[in-house]
Amino acid sequence: MITLQNIEKYYATKGLKSYILRHVSTTIQQGEFVSIMGPSGAGKSTLLNILGMLEEPTYGTYEFMGEDITSLSERKKIELYRNHIGFVFQAYHLIDEMTVAENIEAPLLYKKIAGAERKSRVADMLDRFNIVGKKDLFPNQLSGGQQQLVGIARALAAQPSIILADEPTGNLQSAQALQIMELFKKLNEEENITIIQVTHSEVNAGYGSRILHLLDGVIKEDLNVVNL
Amino acid sequence: MFRLNFKITLRNLWKNKGYTLINVGGLAIGLASCMVLLLYVAYEWSYDKQSKNYADTYVVYQHQVTSSGMMSWAWTPGVLAPELSGTIPGAVMASHSSYPQPQLLSFHESYFKKAAVYGDPQFLKIMDYKFLKGNPARALREVNSVILTETLAKNLFGNEDPINKIVKLNNKEDLKVDAVIADIPKNSSIEFDYLLPWSLWERQQPFVKESGWGNNFCLTLVQLQKGENFSKADELLSHVLANHQQGATGHYSLHTLSKWHLYSEFQNGRSVGGKIDQVRIFFMLAFCILLIACVNFMNLSTARSEKRAKEVGVRKAIGSSRKSLISQFMLESVLLSVLGMVVAFVLIEISLPYFNGVLHTELVIHYSDWKFWGVFAGLTIVTGCIAGSYPAFYLSSFEPLQVLKGVKTTGSTSLSVRQVLVVFQFVFAACLIICTAVIYQQLNFIKNKSIGYNKNNLVEIPIQGSMHNEQKLILLKDQLLKSGALSDVTFFSRSISEGGNNTFDVNWQGKNPKENVLFNHRSAGYDFAKTMGSGIINGREFSPKYTDTANVIINEAAVKIMGLKNPVGTVIKFWNSPVTIIGVMKDFVMENPYSQTAPLILYHKMNEVEVVVARLNAGTNISSSMDKIKEVTERLNPGFPVDTKFVDDNFEQKFQNEKLLGTVANWFGGFAIFISCLGLLGLALYMAEQRKKEISIRKVLGASNMNIVTLLNKDFIKLVIIADLIAFPIAYLIINHWLSTYSFRVSISVLPFAIALGLSLIIAILTVSVQSVKVAKANPVDALKYE
Repeated sequence: MITLQNIEKYYATKGLKSYILRHVSTTIQQGEFVSIMGPSGAGKSTLLNILGMLEEPTYGTYEFMGEDITSLSERKKIELYRNHIGFVFQAYHLIDEMTVAENIEAPLLYKKIAGAERKSRVADMLDRFNIVGKKDLFPNQLSGGQQQLVGIARALAAQPSIILADEPTGNLQSAQALQIMELFKKLNEEENITIIQVTHSEVNAGYGSRILHLLDGVIKEDLNVVNL
Repeated sequence: MFRLNFKITLRNLWKNKGYTLINVGGLAIGLASCMVLLLYVAYEWSYDKQSKNYADTYVVYQHQVTSSGMMSWAWTPGVLAPELSGTIPGAVMASHSSYPQPQLLSFHESYFKKAAVYGDPQFLKIMDYKFLKGNPARALREVNSVILTETLAKNLFGNEDPINKIVKLNNKEDLKVDAVIADIPKNSSIEFDYLLPWSLWERQQPFVKESGWGNNFCLTLVQLQKGENFSKADELLSHVLANHQQGATGHYSLHTLSKWHLYSEFQNGRSVGGKIDQVRIFFMLAFCILLIACVNFMNLSTARSEKRAKEVGVRKAIGSSRKSLISQFMLESVLLSVLGMVVAFVLIEISLPYFNGVLHTELVIHYSDWKFWGVFAGLTIVTGCIAGSYPAFYLSSFEPLQVLKGVKTTGSTSLSVRQVLVVFQFVFAACLIICTAVIYQQLNFIKNKSIGYNKNNLVEIPIQGSMHNEQKLILLKDQLLKSGALSDVTFFSRSISEGGNNTFDVNWQGKNPKENVLFNHRSAGYDFAKTMGSGIINGREFSPKYTDTANVIINEAAVKIMGLKNPVGTVIKFWNSPVTIIGVMKDFVMENPYSQTAPLILYHKMNEVEVVVARLNAGTNISSSMDKIKEVTERLNPGFPVDTKFVDDNFEQKFQNEKLLGTVANWFGGFAIFISCLGLLGLALYMAEQRKKEISIRKVLGASNMNIVTLLNKDFIKLVIIADLIAFPIAYLIINHWLSTYSFRVSISVLPFAIALGLSLIIAILTVSVQSVKVAKANPVDALKYE
């Protein structure tokens, strides 16, 4: 599904190149649950951003479902966002002016999905995450864990084939983090959604099927998690 | 999608009430100012467009070569109109009519001194007045008839039917009311309260019928056939005078009726504008103020970008295209401007009566007129789009990654755009302050300029009815003086502050026969110079001790033009009869305080005088003096209401245009400054937000509140000073241009510029300090703990 070849990313300051990523090459198949790990400054987030097309690599090729991303127009990228990619952020990034239900509905509006279908999908999501009672609340009326649930519900509403999560549990307490990870695992196993997450926690990484260890921009280890 | 965006917009506006208030307020003031000015422009534009065929109706102008260049006026001889229908092919109708003169009209015990116009039936047809009662076909055909306007008819007869009732003109002639027409709208150049037949004028004033091509006393209107070649008709008309008058130095031309009001100034026989200049200024002012309001909006919206950035980033990450973001922000600004429109509407309704008072207009909102709503709605949408365009493109350009990472996207470039916008606003505001100051300076200058006589306590009483009699006038003067109300009394053939009555027919030894010099001529009573408080430089005044029938007094300007070394005793020819100059009077201003005084000839013919000019006794109470004047005049001339006027008030009317310009500049300048201040406040809010952390660190390091306030204000003061520096040369050019049209004008001084600098700085500092003091006093921990 995803093929990275020789991805490099650096910033040139005063003639000096400071590398964020070097010679990153990997392949991720549909249905994998990948955790990117590594110390601060290793380039985890940059890699995820490149995967999410929020950032462009300096060198290298990136193929997403057989299409070369580097040469893609803005319009095509937006199409990909709408149909294939769901983002989950550490800081949730819900739209403050929208209610829970409206936040979940927003990506569907951009996908131009008909009203009735939209309603049913939103209802379905609210049901699935047990937040029906909170649908008319605004984000600042929810706890962090609940906000992240809404964030995931929003990402899932558009029925993406891949979810990119940047430290999704970074701002949460451990019990809530556990709940989110269980959810990811379930989505991965039952709906075959590809999940790529950046995390600091070994525990979280343990939920996935594969771990990429980054150090100073280079992939040091590529492990398969043995399910216990 | 639209519904959700709409809902979110409303939530956003509600959440940031202060911001919404500033924005809506600014837009409302801008829209209201623009609309009021546009209403005024439309009003001026609508002049003389009420008649059905206004586009094919023309006023005949006469152009005469004189010593001081070609002079043009819309006064023509009475014989012109009958001649025209024959000579000009395509002229459907030509009419002659008098210029309005107040005359006394009465019915039983109700007296009204109202403006009367003598006209012929063609005049009625050309002007297409709306008949409410009576037969249009018969109107103005009988000698002893009158047509009343609606209001006058109501005032005279109440609810009775006025048709065929007999009214009295000047307590003398009986006139039958033939018809009632609708009131003449205020935006009509030809204004009157009732119409009298031309034939009546001919009977009252024999000269009307007898005078030929040399005597210009009436207005001639021509209506051409639709689509008829105007330039051909104009060409033919220009030869008419030469065909009838030997050695004619002038010619006629056609001037479109609907352009008469706005393009009334001529130079070398060509139309060079007139009031249209002022209308253009107002038109530009209208849009500049609206633009300032738009700029304000842009400033405030982009200043809030920090808060909106996250929303933009998230929306983009979940699949929003830039287009839909732009449309969302546009929707927001259009919604705001619609809110502004509603407030503007209220503001307009509240302020219109005041403006009508100042501008002497009848501006009203025509609720049933689709044009008004069209312009209003169009203006609102355009405002919303212009105001929303920059923020929409700016906000939607944010890169989602940077925003979500929390990188400050609003770097120095966006700030400088905002700074440019604020500078632009203040340039405009400073220009307006300077112009307003100069307009007032000029007004004061002209008002304080010596006019050659003392107008304080000087009153005029019109001579009416049977008072046109030398014996009675002498009696009146005697009794008025005896009553103690007045210290001096004299007579004059026109109002002191009025123009008109001039002639080329003055000849003296050594005059260049090819040169035409226009002389004002008036008849004056005894003690004229004394009453006026003006001086006789040489010789003497008219006096009962002499017989002054063949004697004249001239003014200094006349002496200069005639080149006389010893004027007193010189014999000149005036209207072909020799007269002797017995005195030279100081120049005094009659018609136009802005131009050089014209040469004047005064003679003493008591049958021509029309007003009593008198000076109130300085020692006595004004109202008791006025009562005494009234009592004496009414006793000698019963049946005519006395209307005594102060020369001072009449004179004041001459500054109408400048006063109006001053008031308008003052008000709208004030609005512009106010809106600009809102913009500045927005910028200060933004700066405070941006520098919160920096300020907190400075405070932790030991900066005092005062240090912080100074630090924050410094940047803004710099902006305002830059704006002033840009504004000064622009304003200088504008006022220089404006002043150049006046032959008497103030010299441009430093004062207006200093006022503008001082005022803009004070206003800016006050505005910014509101915000910076708040920031400086805030607890540094609040800002620092979020990092």
